[in-house]
Amino acid sequence: MHREQFENALFRAGYLAILVFMLLPLAVVVVTSFAESGNLAFPPESYSLVHYRAFFEQTRWLSAFDNSLLVGVGTTIVATTLGVTAAFGHEIDDGRAGQVLAPLVLVPLLIPPIILGISMRVYFVRAGLEASYLSIVLAHTLWATPLVYFVMRSVFSRFDWQLLDAAKDLGAGPIRSFVYAVLPNVKHGIFVGALLAFIISLQEFVMALFLSSRSTETIPVVAWTQIRQSLDPMVSVVSTFLIVISLIAIVIATIATNLDWLSKQLS
Amino acid sequence: MSGTHSSSALPAPIARLWESLRERSRSKRALLLMAPLLVFELLLFVAPFLILLRISLTDGSQDLRYAPGTWSISGYGEVFTTDVLLNAITYSIKLGLLATAITVVIATFYAYAIWRSEGLVKSALLFSVILPLLTTLVIKTYAFMPLLSPNGTLNDVLLSLNLISEPIQFVPGTVGVVVGQVYIVLPYAVLAIYSVLATMDWGIVEAARDLGASRPRSVLEVVVPQAMPGIIVATVISFAWSVGAYAAPGLLGDGQNKARAFALVVEEQLLTNLQWEVATAYAVVMLLLMVVSIVLLTATLNYFGGEFEYA
Repeated sequence: MHREQFENALFRAGYLAILVFMLLPLAVVVVTSFAESGNLAFPPESYSLVHYRAFFEQTRWLSAFDNSLLVGVGTTIVATTLGVTAAFGHEIDDGRAGQVLAPLVLVPLLIPPIILGISMRVYFVRAGLEASYLSIVLAHTLWATPLVYFVMRSVFSRFDWQLLDAAKDLGAGPIRSFVYAVLPNVKHGIFVGALLAFIISLQEFVMALFLSSRSTETIPVVAWTQIRQSLDPMVSVVSTFLIVISLIAIVIATIATNLDWLSKQLS
Repeated sequence: MSGTHSSSALPAPIARLWESLRERSRSKRALLLMAPLLVFELLLFVAPFLILLRISLTDGSQDLRYAPGTWSISGYGEVFTTDVLLNAITYSIKLGLLATAITVVIATFYAYAIWRSEGLVKSALLFSVILPLLTTLVIKTYAFMPLLSPNGTLNDVLLSLNLISEPIQFVPGTVGVVVGQVYIVLPYAVLAIYSVLATMDWGIVEAARDLGASRPRSVLEVVVPQAMPGIIVATVISFAWSVGAYAAPGLLGDGQNKARAFALVVEEQLLTNLQWEVATAYAVVMLLLMVVSIVLLTATLNYFGGEFEYA
């Protein structure tokens, strides 16, 4: 009995320690963003909003915000369109094309972003798309599409296909039957997929670093360049915004589906 | 499915023809729907890699980044004879192995804890994995600087507890790189293992315990073998990303000669030295080494995964 209690306590202490390890770094970032001094220290000696005020006066950060938003929305549109149509096609017919597609879509996720970044940079320089928004959107799409695709395959596999057949038997064309019979049943899945695509693009950094210029740089890229010059709580402010955006996305996705399902999709 | 009503009234050969036409139009439509993504992958993944491979086989050039149209293996020759490049490969593979080993052990334990927990605790644990997963690499590495630097939080705590007499330099240094990299890949590893565990029946573990297995033994001999597919995915992801790690070594490493990661050296070759044939050859070599290591790692895990069941 004693042994069991001891084991239980040890087990609980173990996972609580990991829980702290997972959340502490993010808490550090949020807390230091409210520091009053210009030095990065945790915990800070005194708190204020000076760095938030300063943030809204810096044009480089603000334009990076616009760039991130533009790239994020672009990636979301392209990745969601490609992912949803391909997953739908794959569910209709699991032929040879589908067998090639599934691993092909997955492989980019397993290749270190540094190598993808290099191959893309070399490619886009040759294609004359160096440092354009389009090159970053396409690179992010390569990473975001697999998630949309696998989320949608899981959603479509639970969809009752007789509904689609019924719509067609009642005389609806392919587009009408998709919009009225399929869409209402899978819209939550599409929404979560699109949300994940946006977050991935917003947070992606290595490929963006290789593909952006001063005028197209995204938030993580600016944050990276700033940290390498000096440690300054301004980066904590920006990081806090990014963490809050992810937090909101998780809450919305959880409301649309549930946390357990979401975690299985992300693996 | 909907074809059955209309075809049942027709003579058999015509019905068969009708079905096959329907099937064909069905797969044609499916192909049409999959085509955009296939084309996208070919244009943005396969083509860039072929070009990378092609450039790695060109000759060096004095005034251009590489000499188009030439064929040469001088880039590869450079990779295998330059100490800086070889050292970085060794460092990155060591970093990959160390970070992977730590990550997979912690991730298996944490995934098990999530699987066994319920209600609010389960939600909290899942949340603690998903939030860092959806946070940029930059933040994840940056956060360790105030925590692990010589005048950082951890050293303050250790000093005030009199556990150490002078600050330890975790960051910049390899300790910091490993901690940062484990933190980066841990969420992915946990979810890979958790998604396999979630399909598992707790009854098997209970049966093992009823038969007298201690709790650690029942986990090691029943849970771990069952979770092996997830553990293998976690290993592959952790290793691939740690070998190619850029942010953690770049920000938390000390950048000394023998402790520079592959990603930082290849970036320098590409952007500063502008030697594209060397940079691309270097990337190809690293990718091949990575694939070989992953195959070996997976085979080892499969081997031991099988052993556990009979132990």
